[in-house]
Amino acid sequence: MSLLDRLLRREDPHSLAAPYALDALEPAERVRFERHLARCERCAAEVRALAEDAVRLAWSAAAPAPPALRERVLAAVRATPQEAAREQHTPQLPPHVWGTQPPPRRTRAPRPRPLMVPFATATAAAALVVAALFAVQAGRTQDQLNAERDRSREIAHVLAAPDARAATGTDAEGHSIGVIASASSGRAVVTLRGYGTPPGGRVHQLWLMRPGAQPRSLGLFSGDTPLLADGLEKSATSLAVTVEPDGGSPRPTGQPIVQLALESVGFGE
Amino acid sequence: MRMPGVAGRGRCGRRKGDGVEADELLLLVAGGDHNAFEQLYGLVSGPVFGLVRRVVRDAAQAEEVAQEVLLELWRSAPRFDPGRGSALSWVLTLAHRRAVDRVRSARAAGEREQREALRAGATPFDQVSEEVEAGLEREWVRRCLDRLTALQRQSVTLAYYDGYTYREVAERLRLPLGTVKTRMRDGLTRLRECLGGAA
Repeated sequence: MSLLDRLLRREDPHSLAAPYALDALEPAERVRFERHLARCERCAAEVRALAEDAVRLAWSAAAPAPPALRERVLAAVRATPQEAAREQHTPQLPPHVWGTQPPPRRTRAPRPRPLMVPFATATAAAALVVAALFAVQAGRTQDQLNAERDRSREIAHVLAAPDARAATGTDAEGHSIGVIASASSGRAVVTLRGYGTPPGGRVHQLWLMRPGAQPRSLGLFSGDTPLLADGLEKSATSLAVTVEPDGGSPRPTGQPIVQLALESVGFGE
Repeated sequence: MRMPGVAGRGRCGRRKGDGVEADELLLLVAGGDHNAFEQLYGLVSGPVFGLVRRVVRDAAQAEEVAQEVLLELWRSAPRFDPGRGSALSWVLTLAHRRAVDRVRSARAAGEREQREALRAGATPFDQVSEEVEAGLEREWVRRCLDRLTALQRQSVTLAYYDGYTYREVAERLRLPLGTVKTRMRDGLTRLRECLGGAA
């Protein structure tokens, strides 16, 4: 490494925020940058935002963990004590998650905190979609896998639309609905999470809500499997899910269990 | 028909879904709750394992690293402070750091090249189910990655998915260090804007 290079790097530690967020620093540089972070609130805030961006890249790599891993981890957890909450020692976790310090002791006067960057909803939407895909994966035959793959391709078309956008909503019980929609092509992928299967052979039915018109059925959910809907009018205002008798109903027979506004994904004109 | 409770945004705003769930579970885990840990495991094990495998490119090593990460999630849960970042971000950042450490030491030892040579003729493992698994999310991120310039995309993915330092990225792409740092930053920011359509 040349002297010039070294000088340049020292002169501009800010520029290391992105490589740091991507874990792309060498160990010595990492330590030096963390020292800088401790004194630079702006950098800490920037690192935190960039680290959230990097985490989105993580979601696209998700894959079901082998079942044996679960057993091993749970067994290890039963045999492993947790760290004390207030123990004061060097954090073992990446400092850009905690900021540059371990969480402050609660007894101490609060230090000024770096700017918080809110956790992005995109990541939550991604979580929803990934979880839904895991759910369909177990115990499939090759034919079913092929069918799933065909459907994945159709879904990919929705995602590939230049105006594709995503939104999620969570109800009071923490169950969620997620949508990725393209208003120009009138297509959407909708996922439910946490609702399970209604009792008594009933089903979850998805409805498109439009001003001055009857709710239109977009189909029935099968568990957590994503539902592909098309022919969505640009005037649509929201999606709603109701519990209906087996086979679905021509019109909703009950109140929606969850609803999601479509305004944020480009509808409602 | 007018459906009750359907005015305006309805019952759902655009809010955090699993993010909140994971945060709440991690707070329970911090209190030593084994049940909560099992639930949290269900939420994060796939993303953790998939990410680690993507970086280390070896299922057996990925399992080892993922196990370390998930055990560490349990051990250090009491230090989690939701005010400082989300649980998902916390665990995935930890997983990535560990995966990168692993791939770098393997690379230094030359093992990786040997393994890659060995594997060149072998059937790619689990390819079909892998395509199905993360297809949707992968497409979503890929679509946004496609909107970056080639240099932004390469700078980000060589570092994040392949575990190269920015110096190594600069060498591979034959770019000055400063350019690579800027491309990484711009790439991540543009990715945020694209994926941020969901926020």
